[in-house]
Amino acid sequence: MNKTQKGAWFNLVMVLLGVAIGVWVIVELVVLGRLPEGFAMVWPLIAFWLVVVIAIISLRRKQSPAEVDSDERDNLIKHRAVIASFVSVWILLAGVTVIPRFVVGIKGSIPVWLLAFINLCVLLGAGLVYSVAVLVQYGWRGKDGKG
Amino acid sequence: MAKGKLNNKVRRLRFDNGEMTQQKLADATGVTRQTIIAIESGKYAPSLPLAFRIARTFGVRVEDVFKYEDEDS
Repeated sequence: MNKTQKGAWFNLVMVLLGVAIGVWVIVELVVLGRLPEGFAMVWPLIAFWLVVVIAIISLRRKQSPAEVDSDERDNLIKHRAVIASFVSVWILLAGVTVIPRFVVGIKGSIPVWLLAFINLCVLLGAGLVYSVAVLVQYGWRGKDGKG
Repeated sequence: MAKGKLNNKVRRLRFDNGEMTQQKLADATGVTRQTIIAIESGKYAPSLPLAFRIARTFGVRVEDVFKYEDEDS
């Protein structure tokens, strides 16, 4: 696995971790209506730093001492993934612009905190699309990594 | 416009050059091993500069490594 693939895996794990923590916070605070205590309070922080440490160690390890960080194919793959991510941002923003009209009506209103939440979701969605687009082009773990 | 296919003899040339590994060829040409694998399997067509670097690593001409074939020919 080269640096670009490792970076995409790291990005994907961070996005999924962000989603998991977000869902957990909503369940704890909104659904169960309680404030987490003890270990439940620090597990997101431990998980975050664990992923960061693993990513740093993994990114520093090279396939060979002379291996380049990225080459022309990596740049092409990243370029296509950025375009896919950019398109996904527009699709998501168009979706969240149109959908409320049908949910709350043309003169309806939504809470202000929902705007920040929507922005965060669009950001996470774009990150997810970028990582998946990179990994799909490499063939996931895949055929590209063996030979 | 006619569609074509870029065939290559990279794998053959690696074995003819002392069974050079994909990693050694990658290091010599300044790309990652994954790119060499993609080129060998025909999934990726390299840029001209990279094609020249690969040919020079083997000490041959570009046309001895890569061959472009029209699909309708």
